[in-house]
Amino acid sequence: MQESISEKRLGGCALGGSLAVTSFIRDGITIIHSPQGCAHQMFSAYHAMAADSDSFSIPKVIVSNITNREVIFGGEEALLEALDRADAENPALISVVTSCVPETIGDDVEGVCASHAAADKIVYVPASGFLGGSSQDGENIALISISKRVSPSEIVPRTAVIIGEKNLESEVEENYAEVCRLLSRLGISVSLRFCRNISAADIIKLGTADFFIIRDERVEEAGRTIAENFGRPYVSSFPSGLSGCVRFIREAGLACGISEAEIEDAVSAEEAYQAEQLSIFKELSGMKVSLGFEPFAGCHAVAREAMQRLNIHETADGMEIKLPFYLPVGLSGVLKMLYLWRREKRK
Amino acid sequence: MTSCMENPVMPCAMTGACAVLSGFSGLSVVVHGSSGCYYYPRSILRAQLYSTYLLESEIVFGTVDRLREVVSSLEAEGKPVAVVNTCIPALTGEDLANAFEGTNAVFVDSPGFSGNAEAGVKAAYTALDIKTADVSAVNIDGVCGLDLFARGNLHEARRMLSLLGIPVRLSFAADSYSKLKDGAAPFSVSVNPAWDSGVGENLGSLLFLDIKDTMSALEKRFPNADYAALEEEWKKADETMFYYADKYLRKYTPPVAAVAGQGSYCRFASAMLTRYFGSDIAVSLPREEVVDYTEVSEKISAAEPDLILGSTFEASVYDAAFFGITHPDRSRISMSARAVSGVEGGVMFMEGVLNALMDYHKR
Repeated sequence: MQESISEKRLGGCALGGSLAVTSFIRDGITIIHSPQGCAHQMFSAYHAMAADSDSFSIPKVIVSNITNREVIFGGEEALLEALDRADAENPALISVVTSCVPETIGDDVEGVCASHAAADKIVYVPASGFLGGSSQDGENIALISISKRVSPSEIVPRTAVIIGEKNLESEVEENYAEVCRLLSRLGISVSLRFCRNISAADIIKLGTADFFIIRDERVEEAGRTIAENFGRPYVSSFPSGLSGCVRFIREAGLACGISEAEIEDAVSAEEAYQAEQLSIFKELSGMKVSLGFEPFAGCHAVAREAMQRLNIHETADGMEIKLPFYLPVGLSGVLKMLYLWRREKRK
Repeated sequence: MTSCMENPVMPCAMTGACAVLSGFSGLSVVVHGSSGCYYYPRSILRAQLYSTYLLESEIVFGTVDRLREVVSSLEAEGKPVAVVNTCIPALTGEDLANAFEGTNAVFVDSPGFSGNAEAGVKAAYTALDIKTADVSAVNIDGVCGLDLFARGNLHEARRMLSLLGIPVRLSFAADSYSKLKDGAAPFSVSVNPAWDSGVGENLGSLLFLDIKDTMSALEKRFPNADYAALEEEWKKADETMFYYADKYLRKYTPPVAAVAGQGSYCRFASAMLTRYFGSDIAVSLPREEVVDYTEVSEKISAAEPDLILGSTFEASVYDAAFFGITHPDRSRISMSARAVSGVEGGVMFMEGVLNALMDYHKR
């Protein structure tokens, strides 16, 4: 089809994005106010992602099951039934996420949630399916909605809260480990992954964070809003590329109020470690490569920086090399990319 | 009173309609909805699908122009187009069915709220309005993109009908759209009755234990076909399966099974296990009746099976030997055309079950 399709059209729906947040609260239940098919699509996709990580766990999702009847007579009764069913299981949190259908038929979802006996543990996430925007919008809506349950409290020094990890990416744990490795150079620990495999009670740690780390620009809106609401600084993204690791250490250190001397010690240690790790790829020195298509904004910059450090030259007729589909996180992301290049050379 | 449910295990009507329409080559299938609706059928069917990728603004001002834009660009490539409707355009009251009057476009109104995949399959076949032609041939029915064994079943059905010397007119839904428009044969045999189109007189299924009856029905319509070779093949396969089941039963007790999937596969699997192992079927959960995952989980756990036949949804419930017979099966990489229908399909099913049981015992 000769049609140019804008990025906006390809962004999925907000329901999926919201569920990618709420279903990672272990002791919570998510209610999807939608036809049953929407719920199947979502949890089936998570089942597939989990299987990629050798886990077959399935998040608990209750669907109100809007059918032809609710389309005609309204879906509030169906939602109420779903809330009763969820409440009967006594979860720590009930997240109510809407699809595009209740938005169109005019259900008062907020009113039903507010008047329910379990209202104090219900979070209404007005995703509204694709009418609420893209999957990215859905993630932001959910993160902000859930964060409103917590107030700022006394800071626990040198603790960070990560906001908006990509729960459905296959290398999410590897990326987290890389961030922790860099933070550990300054003695900083992650007190909460908001929201990844947490309990509802953990959410209170949002209020004690020294600073926030926003996963990337995808969840910038939620990250900024939460940081402003809690009056705490933030680092705007996970580190990408070699210099990005150094920058990340500096930004995290400053956000925690760590002395410049201590930060520079951490930076020196990281630079020495990078040099040691890059020496594995000495054989790539002098190679001519062609980067080709950039699969994700920023990939070329990360690649070119690594090329410069390893004395690899970019030429139009050079060997075509593979770039990662996502922006590589930290040094570990760069090393994985270089292993692909080395395989290419050795083929 | 509606019935809310937990983690429903069946896709929606829109997905079912796409599964049928995408099986016909030469037909461009457009999901009239948002990208959020489109991605799921695109990913599980692994078929070329198009979408109008609707935006909120188009809902406000009407979606017909956007739909016409996408359909026209596809029609310019010379292929007929099928449009599958989704929830919101179905709710806003636009006259989409008549938007393409006078064109070859097929319109299938199968929004998610109208039911699950089975409803969508029916809606698609109704919209295709398939006529029968006066020809001496059969159709192969019950091939569906939502079936793990669709491709293998089709190959096996073609092989068997070729062995019999009976011509195949059309395969539903795995054929060319232009052939479909020329008309179907007056008779059909099914590889999986759960996904039948209902076109032509149904002469039975090719699931292993149904084959003899189906051959008798075929013989009445095609008396000159050669049935002896296939009868011999069936008999040998039956003996082989008894041989290996006997070997298994020398060491182990008959498996107690939990079976889940489309009703046709549940019945097939239960009958096979009963015949070759003398098994107890502890619980059978046809998708047509049970779609609530919590109900599925509770029933399987209560049954304490040592063999689960179903999807990896069921496999994740209870620690037992597992063989996937319904979507999704995330336990294995599957690229080849495996069958459970036909003679070879029966043998492959038993082979899969026995290997799953043996692997589990070795753990």
